[in-house]
Amino acid sequence: MRTVYIADTGVFVRCGGPDKNKFQQLRRALRQAEVSLRIPQRVYEELGGDPAAEEYPSGNIPYPDGFEEGWITVADDLDYTNSTVSTVMDDARRFIANETDRKEDITEKADTALVGLAAQLLDIDEADHVVLLTTDKPAGRAAETLLPTHGFADRIEYRYVSEEYLEAITAEEFR
Amino acid sequence: MSKSPAHSGRPPIQQLQTVVDLLETPTLARIYVYVSQNGPVTVAQLIDTLGVPQGTAYDYVQKLEAAGIVTKTREQRPYEYETDPISLTLSTDGETQTVTPALIAAVARRDEDEDINVYIDRHGLDGLAVALEYAYEYVDGTVNNRIAARELDLSPLEAEIILQALEPVAKAYADPAE
Repeated sequence: MRTVYIADTGVFVRCGGPDKNKFQQLRRALRQAEVSLRIPQRVYEELGGDPAAEEYPSGNIPYPDGFEEGWITVADDLDYTNSTVSTVMDDARRFIANETDRKEDITEKADTALVGLAAQLLDIDEADHVVLLTTDKPAGRAAETLLPTHGFADRIEYRYVSEEYLEAITAEEFR
Repeated sequence: MSKSPAHSGRPPIQQLQTVVDLLETPTLARIYVYVSQNGPVTVAQLIDTLGVPQGTAYDYVQKLEAAGIVTKTREQRPYEYETDPISLTLSTDGETQTVTPALIAAVARRDEDEDINVYIDRHGLDGLAVALEYAYEYVDGTVNNRIAARELDLSPLEAEIILQALEPVAKAYADPAE
């Protein structure tokens, strides 16, 4: 079974900080399991897009190491012409707006990129199963709630990346 | 806040200077937070746990006691202390901000959490107080870093950094608004 792991910005922030042990631990787990984390274009932009964030210890994320070593890869662009992708993303916008008690026009495509990428990978049959690693609870719940209604029952899993989750992570998590 | 702010019998303006000091002095804030979470405690206990120099600890506890922010619960040596709840609302030109124990706890982490320190340098204590409100929602799962970023005018990365940094405080203190 082909499982694709999608990772969000918060996962790398959680690894960061002056204590980079968590980053090393995640890296070791992924390399032992021979798995790479797929990041949406949007996450790639977020990780590198703000020079101000580099003032923060936790903003100094050594994610380019992951590209060089092959355990982080950037996903293809989202294909909005794919009706499954665009419908799931519209539904996710509504879902996230509702969860966060915001107006729908306040939520943006960035908020739904994770869910959209999961839908795309399943729809074009690039993955049998998608695991979403995120600290974005509304997006995680959107994925886990909506994708089954679009014919992807039992093919999506959301894992909330807490401090404890990262501290305990091993290759088993990716097998 | 279950108790009235006048519980200590200290007039609010007399407490104000010490609350300002709490926001400006992370070690003083750490002492306040320790007493509020573990009280009644002796000064010796907080010296052992926090690793604060003895002289500083006695001075700071005395300062907090003089302002009515901590009170003695045991009148013989070794004295034991607990906190009175703080809730100080400030208004200037239509802007209102409340100093809560959670905000003081966030400031207390300044020395140990450089992310919080950088955030205060960039956005001030008012900025920290607003971010703390989002941190409660982030923990509850009713906001994410991207929405917080747009509403606070930060990048999504900076929003995620401060929300994660404030997460332990948000978990330890229930939202007073709830």
